[in-house]
Amino acid sequence: MPSSCPECGSSNVVEDDLYSQRQWVCVDCGSVVSEGHLTTTVSDETQGRAVPYHASTEVLKKPCRNLIAGFSRVRALCRILRLSSDMESAVVSLFERAYNHPNFIFVTLTKKEILGGCCVLSVCRQCNWPVAMGTIGYLLGVDNATLGTVYREFTKALNIEISTIGIMDMLESFCYDFKLGPQQVEEVFAEPPQRLVDRTSALIELAADAWIVTGRQPLPLLFAAVYLAWQSLNPTVRMKYTFVKFCKIGKAPEQSWHRSRDSVVKRLKELRDVLCKLGRELPWLRGGTVEPNTVVPLVDDILKNHRALLLRAVRNYEQQLQNESQTAQTTECDNELSDSNRSESHSSTTPELMDPDQAGCENPADKQATDCQLPPDHWSKRHLFLPPCVKNRKRQRVDAPQLEVTGDEEISDSEIESYIRSQDEIEMYLKVQKELKKMA
Amino acid sequence: RNMDVEASLENYFDQTIAGSSDYIFEGDLGLQGPAPRLQDSSFLSSLTSQEKDLTEDLDLSFLPDELGTQDEPSQAENLSRNEDSGIYTDCPPRESTEADTDTSNSAQNASQFNLPMTPMTPMTPMTPVAESSGIIPQLQNIVSTVNLACPLNLKSIALQARNAEYNPKRFAAVIMRIREPRTTALIFSSGKMVCTGAKSEEQSRLAARKYARVVQKLGFPAKFLDFKIQNVVGSCDVCFPIRLEGLVLTHQQFSSYEPELFPGLIYRMVKPRIVLLIFVSGKVVLTGAKERSEIYEAFENIYPILKGFRKQ
Repeated sequence: MPSSCPECGSSNVVEDDLYSQRQWVCVDCGSVVSEGHLTTTVSDETQGRAVPYHASTEVLKKPCRNLIAGFSRVRALCRILRLSSDMESAVVSLFERAYNHPNFIFVTLTKKEILGGCCVLSVCRQCNWPVAMGTIGYLLGVDNATLGTVYREFTKALNIEISTIGIMDMLESFCYDFKLGPQQVEEVFAEPPQRLVDRTSALIELAADAWIVTGRQPLPLLFAAVYLAWQSLNPTVRMKYTFVKFCKIGKAPEQSWHRSRDSVVKRLKELRDVLCKLGRELPWLRGGTVEPNTVVPLVDDILKNHRALLLRAVRNYEQQLQNESQTAQTTECDNELSDSNRSESHSSTTPELMDPDQAGCENPADKQATDCQLPPDHWSKRHLFLPPCVKNRKRQRVDAPQLEVTGDEEISDSEIESYIRSQDEIEMYLKVQKELKKMA
Repeated sequence: RNMDVEASLENYFDQTIAGSSDYIFEGDLGLQGPAPRLQDSSFLSSLTSQEKDLTEDLDLSFLPDELGTQDEPSQAENLSRNEDSGIYTDCPPRESTEADTDTSNSAQNASQFNLPMTPMTPMTPMTPVAESSGIIPQLQNIVSTVNLACPLNLKSIALQARNAEYNPKRFAAVIMRIREPRTTALIFSSGKMVCTGAKSEEQSRLAARKYARVVQKLGFPAKFLDFKIQNVVGSCDVCFPIRLEGLVLTHQQFSSYEPELFPGLIYRMVKPRIVLLIFVSGKVVLTGAKERSEIYEAFENIYPILKGFRKQ
């Protein structure tokens, strides 16, 4: 700290900074006695800050860290799904586009992860190797609903045309996920993939004809169909293995089927019921009973002749309906009697064609587990095969009686006052609120 | 997320017809609201322009030639301007099937001047054409908005009203319900209100008036401006199962079917601009209409398409 000015000799030297540079100036003659050094090395900078990209004059933006992480994640997804290298590069470029899109650049990191999954989904569909949303979902650890929302936003923002995929398109990639090659499992369990695909495909076609497929989640149905197909290709040995055991044998990743286990069980039941309805039409069984738990050995025969069996089943059902309506007309008063007669003739030669649910509807006495509440003349009675949501209507829809108003009626004061608290009520309410606040 | 819901609700108000105060309410509220702007020609033209959209789709060939000069079916106001035709015509009830399907009979009908003489008010619902499908969609929900035109203290409303909920951290409006017509209203501090849950346009209007009365009784100078039906939702059953996978293939520009996301097919009809949710059970939900005629029209458009996917 200089004490005297070299020019005039005065000792009146003060610190008077020029902008942010420290200077010592003589008050009397105004000369600069000494000045602080502007630092020249980075280490001397104590208040330095990196200049952000948007404030700099840099032309090319370096990809941000999250984008790089996103790339590696997306590539990992492609490798797990065993996509071709062309598809992988398409996914990566699509992801870059999506990531930098104004709608997605500022979203949360989880959403950016999901965005990566959406890119994979989109490219897979475009390249005709569709992957189920549920598959992407379990790989990313998100549910279908969240994935769906992001997917919709993504296709809208990037103007991508959504091509619809059918369950059959997903079949092949799905079947190849199961490791049932002869080298991978025991001889009795092994199944060449193509055979499995063919058998599963036939089962799903049958399911589609019987209205089990439309409107349902495809994955549980695919699981059920693959399982039944696998069983039916060697029923004597494989009948005793449950669905869970099958998944373990085929080394299907647990997260993929674990959540939808209940749906798979339901689909299995529905599939077996359809197979039973058709199995009963096999002429060489001569009207013997066909039960859901023993129908699997018959699957081979059923699938071979499924068209003929379908026709027979539907025709027989219509015949049955005609007979019933005739008997209902002629024996009106003996309605209950004829009902009981029909239930007695269960074990007779004519195979029981009526859906057990519908039988329940016509005999209100025997309450079925499904508790179906369809009115007796509902249109669904005319069809043998129907979407389950029609047959299993649990609750009777009650249409409230229509209020006939003009909109201009007089509104009574008393009615309006019934919606307003009295002074006492308000005071009580405020008192209680205060007490609650004191307690909290 | 609150912001999104609020923003979309506020959007309803952006689309109200500028300058038209259709249902200015003086009688019941006992207020001196602004005088009805019936003298304002723009109001009348806005009314008639609404009607024009309706009439473009109406088959008026059965009307006698003398009435052919009239552009739209009558409104009281319109008629007061036309001195010559002191005739009120209504879209005649469509029980007479010949009128629509057989144009050769139109001459017959035209000569017989036996049209019912009832004035048609703008909000009268058009009778649906039932012959083609035999099914009439039932209205399930009407959403309407109205402007009470005064700032409201939501805390005070929630305190004084029995049927109100107010949770400012969750949503910035009071949720009020009345028993008849069974509806719910969202009342905002700006004085705007959304009324949902009614099964007909008239019920919606009555309900909105009741809410306005409640707010008045709570001490606010509420008016009843710009009442507008914003959305009409209908549903019906075609009584046969539908192959959604087939429908999405043949009508892919309009349909979206993602069974992993939603079990129904989402069909976005262009004319009229209605969104239909079509389910495998044959049930159809129609939404996005501003008037019930759009619902009926949309269903008549979709029914033949659905019949094509009926599988035996």
